[in-house]
Amino acid sequence: MPLTPEERTRLEALAGIMLPGGAGMSGASDVNLAQDPVDRVLHIEPALTARLSRFLSQVRVVRTMPDVETLAQQDPQGFKALGTVLANAYFMHEEIRRQIGYPGQEARDSSGGLTGQDLALLRPVQERGPIHR
Amino acid sequence: MLEIRSDVVIVGAGPSGAVAALELARAGMSVTVLEQGDWVAAEEFDGARPEWELTQLSKWHPNPNVRGRPEDYPIDATDSEVNPLMFAGVGGAALIYGAHWVRFMPSDFRVRTLDGVADDWPFTYEDLAPFYEYVEESMAVSGLSGNPAYPDGAPCPLPPLPIGKVGRKAAEGMNRLGWHWWPGSNAIPSRAYRGLQPCVLRGTCGTGCSDGAKATPDRTHWPEAQKLGVRLVTGARVSEVETDAQGRACGAVWIDRNGIRHRAQGDVVILCANGIGTPRLLLMSGLAGRSGMVGRRLMMHPYAGVMGTFDEDLESWVGPAGQILVSMQFYETDTTRGFVRGAKWNCMPAGGPQSFRAGYTGGTLTEGWGPALHDSVRRKFGRSFEWGIIGEDLPVAENRLTLSENLTDSDGLPAPEIHYRMSGNTHRMLAFHTARAVEAMEAAGAIATEVTPLIRDCGWHLMGTAVMGDDPETSVVDQFGHVHDVPNLYVMDGSTFPTSSGMNPTATIMAVAARSVLDLIESRGDIAPSR
Ligand SMILES: Cc1cc2nc3c(=O)[nH]c(=O)nc-3n(C[C@H](O)[C@H](O)[C@H](O)COP(=O)(O)OP(=O)(O)OC[C@H]3O[C@@H](n4cnc5c(N)ncnc54)[C@H](O)[C@@H]3O)c2cc1C
Ligand code: SF4
Repeated sequence: MPLTPEERTRLEALAGIMLPGGAGMSGASDVNLAQDPVDRVLHIEPALTARLSRFLSQVRVVRTMPDVETLAQQDPQGFKALGTVLANAYFMHEEIRRQIGYPGQEARDSSGGLTGQDLALLRPVQERGPIHR
Repeated sequence: MLEIRSDVVIVGAGPSGAVAALELARAGMSVTVLEQGDWVAAEEFDGARPEWELTQLSKWHPNPNVRGRPEDYPIDATDSEVNPLMFAGVGGAALIYGAHWVRFMPSDFRVRTLDGVADDWPFTYEDLAPFYEYVEESMAVSGLSGNPAYPDGAPCPLPPLPIGKVGRKAAEGMNRLGWHWWPGSNAIPSRAYRGLQPCVLRGTCGTGCSDGAKATPDRTHWPEAQKLGVRLVTGARVSEVETDAQGRACGAVWIDRNGIRHRAQGDVVILCANGIGTPRLLLMSGLAGRSGMVGRRLMMHPYAGVMGTFDEDLESWVGPAGQILVSMQFYETDTTRGFVRGAKWNCMPAGGPQSFRAGYTGGTLTEGWGPALHDSVRRKFGRSFEWGIIGEDLPVAENRLTLSENLTDSDGLPAPEIHYRMSGNTHRMLAFHTARAVEAMEAAGAIATEVTPLIRDCGWHLMGTAVMGDDPETSVVDQFGHVHDVPNLYVMDGSTFPTSSGMNPTATIMAVAARSVLDLIESRGDIAPSR
């Protein structure tokens, strides 16, 4: 079940407070987080939708983090679902990944093994000798 | 209802079941293996997909209660400080293990003699060494031979994986303190090996290897075992081990996914269902009760961690994960520290950005959000790594599992109920070790450190619940896993361990399984090869 327009508006307000942007990272509104990025997460984990919707149904006016905290205290499980959805939507976003220098869990060549520098670091350990009983 | 007959029936298709089945098949015996889980193809794991951090909270979570797949049984851990973790499938928990491959140390087999605690094992490191070597060949262990923590240097069949920027940083700190470290050994091939791909350092080992690299029994053992005729039945949850009129084990009853019961008969039954599943099955079957030790002495390795953050980019999401380095500096007993035994350390990459989003310090629910989130990710992501600490958990009879009277699995079988407390010795041990790990981080140049004194979801290592020993009054099985009370019934998983060591146990579980099954093959001339 997709989010209703009303739920999306509330989600946008929450996302703006929880992910305002900073330290060289875009804010939720800059990347339209409450649109496609959130839908992508809910598509992968549909089980989150019900808990998220329940939480959003309690949201009226939220302007500050203390407002969010009050809602979170009322429904910690729902807040956990909200956090999972927002954080994953955010960090799966290519623009955010580019900003933090994260290519994802990429494949690399492992055949290089230990370098000469590594082996030099090991020398004192070898020189100290056995440590078993 | 199906009736299958074979020489041997094995419960569980994880590492221990794989060793047992393959050796029996090589010896020409017919084998049926009953596994409640399924095959998992490499493509099913999410490591190479952007949602990797999302699905590890659900379908790839190590806690069966969170994962909640139909093939999992739930576990009541409300009376436990630690949650047992596992995975049901062909390959068992190894499908999601970190593949840290370490042998126990010689002292681990002699703790009563050396330290006056717990029990010595009925055999020594030297007795087990050839079996370690044997299983290491099959598990593509990569590492550097010559580790001074072992008398024989713990040789590895494959060269080590790179230690990367994280490993070098950690090593520099250890060298400044004059402390032991060694490149990590892992059941992860550093080059193509017997059908396994070379590791691509994706760093997602703990949620399954999507690159077909990590050594797991579905790749290392079951294909050959099946070629030799082993019948591996998946979706088969065993509800009971059966005995004949003489009290000898003669088979097992299993329930398929449609709830239908079947029977597998055999001259020998071997339990390889892990330190929780095996005692659960013994208790459900009402077997091996003479010593009263079934389910007791549960050891799960309480785990602490120290995360260090550095002022430079360490690319600390790069794998393997996997252990990059190990340290046995504080492994052996020094009674001036106020506890006996010790812990192994493993240096680990820190993973993706979400590892740094929550700074839950017991404050408000929203404290990890807002500007704090951006700040935390910017400061820590890619710049942090962990020294993880595996503390030796000494056996205590009160740490145990029983059968739940309230909770059942999807087939209506009683779930295990865990009763487990950390001992004072373990508390003191972890406090000492975390303090030293903070020093190691600072010596390496960390600008900030965070201590996690105990991770609740850390019951990766399940041991001790069907203990081996010579005396049937105080132990469940003999040194080869033969149940004292029940002819033809064997246990070949970590349940038999008299002590836990401070090491990841799979190397030892597989080596002990190999020792046990080869003894079984040699000593049981009555189970005639059927081919
Ligand atoms: C997240 C995680 C990380 C880990 N990391 C490491 C590591 O880095 N290094 C290390 O050495 N160890 C690690 N371990 C532990 C390691 O996975 C286990 O030691 C190893 O898998 C034990 O092998 P086993 O065959 O004895 O049991 P398991 O692998 O648990 O296999 C038992 C099998 O029996 C099946 N079974 C149970 N009950 C029944 C029943 N009634 N009927 C039918 N089938 C049944 C289960 O489905 C399972 O597949 C880790 C474990 C986890 C969960
Ligand atoms: S680091 Fe290597 S073994 Fe681990 S998941 Fe990646 S490719 Fe597989």
